[in-house]
Amino acid sequence: MRKLSADVVVIGGGSTGAGVVRDAAMRGHRAILLDRADLAQGTSGRFHGLLHSGGRYVVADPGSGAECASENAIVSRIQAHAVERTGGLFIVGPEDDPAFGDKFLAGAAEAKMPVEEITPAQALALEPRVNPGLKRAFRVQDGTIDGWQIVWSATASARQYGAQILPYTKVTAIQRADGAIQGVLALDLKTGEELAIECGFVLNCAGPWAGQVAQLAGCRPVEVVPGRGVMVAMSHRLVNMVINRCAKPADGDIIVPDHTVCIIGTTDVKVDDPDRLEIPRREVQQLLDAGESLVPGFRQARAVHAWAGARPLIKDDRVSSSDTRHMSRGMLIMDHQERDSLSGMLTIGGGKFTTYRLMAEHIVDAMEEKLGVNHPCRTAQEACPGQEDARTYQVTHRLAERQSNRLKDQTICECELLGRQQLVDLMAEFPHATLDDLRRQSRLGMGPCQGGFCSARAAGLAFAEGKVDIERATGLLRLFLVNRWIGLWPILHGDQVRQTALDDWILQGILDVDHLPDQTQEVV
Amino acid sequence: MTDTIVIGAGLSGLVSAIRLAQAGQDVTLLAQGLGGLQLSQGTVDVLGYASERVSRPFKTLAALIKTDPHHPYAAIGADNVKSGLTWLSQGLPGLLVGDPELNRCFPTAVGALRPTCLYQPSMAGGAALAGAEWAIVGPRQLKDFYPELCAANLSRSVLPDGGQIEARPYRIDLPARPGEADCSALTYARRLDQEDFRAQFAQAVAQTVGDAAAIGLPAMLGLNAGDGLEAWRDLERRLGRPVFEIALAPPSVPGLRLNQALTALAKASGVRMILGSQVIGLISQGWQVQGVILRQAGRDQRYDGSHFVYAPGGFESGALHLDSYGQLRETAFGLPLRGGEADDLITGDYWQDQALFKVGVGVDAAMRVIDEVGQPVYQNLHAAGGILAGASRWSEKSGEGIALGSAIAATDAILKGQ
Repeated sequence: MRKLSADVVVIGGGSTGAGVVRDAAMRGHRAILLDRADLAQGTSGRFHGLLHSGGRYVVADPGSGAECASENAIVSRIQAHAVERTGGLFIVGPEDDPAFGDKFLAGAAEAKMPVEEITPAQALALEPRVNPGLKRAFRVQDGTIDGWQIVWSATASARQYGAQILPYTKVTAIQRADGAIQGVLALDLKTGEELAIECGFVLNCAGPWAGQVAQLAGCRPVEVVPGRGVMVAMSHRLVNMVINRCAKPADGDIIVPDHTVCIIGTTDVKVDDPDRLEIPRREVQQLLDAGESLVPGFRQARAVHAWAGARPLIKDDRVSSSDTRHMSRGMLIMDHQERDSLSGMLTIGGGKFTTYRLMAEHIVDAMEEKLGVNHPCRTAQEACPGQEDARTYQVTHRLAERQSNRLKDQTICECELLGRQQLVDLMAEFPHATLDDLRRQSRLGMGPCQGGFCSARAAGLAFAEGKVDIERATGLLRLFLVNRWIGLWPILHGDQVRQTALDDWILQGILDVDHLPDQTQEVV
Repeated sequence: MTDTIVIGAGLSGLVSAIRLAQAGQDVTLLAQGLGGLQLSQGTVDVLGYASERVSRPFKTLAALIKTDPHHPYAAIGADNVKSGLTWLSQGLPGLLVGDPELNRCFPTAVGALRPTCLYQPSMAGGAALAGAEWAIVGPRQLKDFYPELCAANLSRSVLPDGGQIEARPYRIDLPARPGEADCSALTYARRLDQEDFRAQFAQAVAQTVGDAAAIGLPAMLGLNAGDGLEAWRDLERRLGRPVFEIALAPPSVPGLRLNQALTALAKASGVRMILGSQVIGLISQGWQVQGVILRQAGRDQRYDGSHFVYAPGGFESGALHLDSYGQLRETAFGLPLRGGEADDLITGDYWQDQALFKVGVGVDAAMRVIDEVGQPVYQNLHAAGGILAGASRWSEKSGEGIALGSAIAATDAILKGQ
C-alpha cells in the first residue's frame, strides 16, 4: 500500500474537480485529484461542447446569463487553445413566437451580455443552411470548447503547483474519526495498487456520482437526479456558428460546430443510474426532427455518432424531480458539517461547464472559510499550460500541421488528420491507456469512418512500439471497436450504414478480427 | 438494342457480362464505380465460418442450404457455385489455385487466420501448416501492416489440427518513393513492378530476415508486370525461398489483380463497358423490363435490352439504403426487399451479425427478383452478388461464392431462355 498525504483530496476528475484542484493548488493547498476513470470521461466529456454566451439563460435566469458571459471571456483567455470562437446565432424560427426575441433582448441587457439583432437576410448570409423561414436573429458570443482539453490543461496547471492527478483511481473508503475527515483509501485500477491518503479535507466533485461518494463517507443519502442528455454528431459542419433556437429551452434546440463535426443536443430524461445511459432511438428521432427545423435537410446529412451524458443535478425541493431541466442550474454546495456532523467535507452539485472556473472559486472559498484561511483566487488571471501563444483553436489547425510534415510523418487517422508521431508520443506518455483514452487525447477514430481504418493501425502501432503485449494490443483493438459501436448503432442510417458496411467488410471480411485469438483477460 | 444489360462491375457483374458475351450475346455493362473487387482480399471464399471454422466448404454449404432456406445459396445451389469456381479458375489461368473442396487458412494483416478455398499463387505459401517457420516482414512506411502484431498473433494461434506456427517479425526501411513516410500498398505494388526497385526491396528483405524458411509480406507484390504476378515470382527467385502475400485493408492489390484480369477479359470478349454513371430507374411493359435509365452528364440516357443482370452490391455501394426514419429502399428500381421485417435490424452487440446487412432482394432459381409471394417481379430481371438477401457475407466469408454462383445461375437462365 502506497501512503500519501494531502491537505485536500478532490474526488472527481471532470471540469469541476479539475477547476477545484487547480484553484486549491494555486492557493497553496497540497491537493490530490482522484477519478475512478479517465479525466473528463463522464459528464464533462459527454456534452455538446458549447461555451455559453449566456443567451440560453438570459430570459429565465439573467444572473446565470451574466456569469456565463463573463466566464466565457475568462476561459477564452486562460485556455485559449481549447476554445474556438465561432460566435453564435439565436434564431426565431417560423413556428416560434417573435415576441420571445424582445424578452431575449431585455434579458441580455440585464445580464450585460453582448448581443446584436441582425436581419434574417444577414443571418442567412452568415449561415446559409439555417431555416430560411426565420423571423428574427440575434448574434451572440457563443463559442465551442473541447471539454477534455479544458480539463487536461487545468490539471496540468494544478500539477505545476504541486497537485497530484490520479485518474483510474477509485475511492474505496473515506475515513472519518470524531466527526472529522481523516483520509481516503483508493485503488489504482490500472496497476492494482492500494493507496492510503491522509487528508483533512475532501471535496466531493463527483457530479452524478456524488451520492455514491457521500455514502462512502457515511453521510445521509444525497439524492442525485441524473438527467440523461443524448447528443448526435453529424459528419461535418453543417453550420460554422452555434445555432440556438430563440425560444424557451427545449430538447434539441442547439447545433454546435465542434472540431470537424457538428453536434445537436440535447434531450433530457430523468434516469436512475448514471452508469447506464441508453441512447433510445426515439430520442435520436426527436433530435433529428429538431435539427430539421433548425437546418432543413438535416435528416439527409450524415450522423456519425451519438452519446449520452448525465447532468450532475442534486435534488432540490423547489421543483418536481421528474423535470430536471427546470431544476436550478446554479451550483449547490452541500456542507456535511451542518447536515451530517462531519467536518472537512463539501459536496458540489449542479453547475455548467462554461462556469466551471467560477464554481471552483466558490468551492475553494467555502473550503477556506471552513479552514479559517483566506487566500486570493488567481485562476482568472493566470493562463493554463498549453496555450502559451494565446491563440484560440481553429478547425484548420490540424490541417496546417499535417500539411507541414506530410512527407515525414504518416497519417494514422485520415478523418481527424492524426499523425503517427503524435499518437506514439501519447502512447509513451500514457502507457496504461486504452485506445479510447488515446482517442480523447487525439480524436483517433472520431471521424466519419469511426475506426474502420485507424483502429487496426493504432493497435499495431501500440504493439510495434513495445508499449503493450500482444494480448493487450489485440484486446485494445476489440475493445475500441465495441466502444465505437455503442455510439454508432443507435444512429445508424443513411451514408453511415454504407460506411459501416465498408468497415465490416474490412475488419470482419478481410482482416477477420472476429477470429483473432481470444484475449485472456479483460482489457482496462 | 443489347441482348443483355449488366449493371455492376464487381465480381458477379463482370463474370455475368463475360460469360454472356462469350456465348455470343451482345452485352453492355453499366457501372457507377470500380466494383467491389478492389476492396476484397483477392481470394475466392465459398464458406469460411458456419458455427465453427469450416474446413470442407461444400459439405457445410449442403447442410446450410437445408437449415437456412433464405440463404442465397439455397436458391443458387451448390452446383452453380462449383461451376462458378471452375469457370473463374479456367477464365483466369494461373491467377487462382487451391482446391474448392478444401479450405485453408491464410494470415491477415492483424494476424488472424482466415479460411478460403481458392487463392492467388502469391498467397499459397501462407497456407497455415503446423510447424511452419515464417518471417513476417513489412516496410515501416506502410501504415496498414505491423509485422510485430501479425507475427505475434499468428504465433499464439492454434491451427485446426492443434498445431502452431512460429512467426517472427522483421522491419525494413524502404519507402516506395524516396522521402515518403506514408506509402500505400498500391504505390509499393507499382514500384515493385519495376525491376530496379524489386532488386532493392529483395536485398533489404534478405539482409533482415536471416535464414527464415518462408517470408510473409504485405499483399503489395506487383500489379501490372507480366501477368500481374511477375514481381512476386521474381522476389521469390531473388530470395530463394517461398514468399507469400498477407491480406491488407483496401486498396487491395490482389483484388485489383482479379479486377484488372476480368476487365481485360470482358473487353476482349466484346463487352461494351460504360463506367462512371448511375442507373436510376427502369422502363417496363407488363412483366418485362425494356430498358434502364442511366444518369449521365447533361441528360438521362435510356439503354434497352432483352435481359438484365442486376449486380450492384449491397449497402456498401449505395444500392441499398436505410433512411433516417428506418425505411429500407433498393435505390435504383425500388425492388421489393427481404429481411427488413426483423424487429432488431441493428443490435448493440458489435460481435453479433447485424440483420440489417442480410437485407436484400429475394430470387428464384433463375435469380429473377421475386416479390413477397415468390413471384418474379419481372420475367427478365435477374440479380446477382451482394444485392441478394440472406447472407452475412463478411463474417461467414461467402461473398465470392455467392457472386460466382448467382452469376452462373442468372446467365444460364438467360442463355437457356433464348
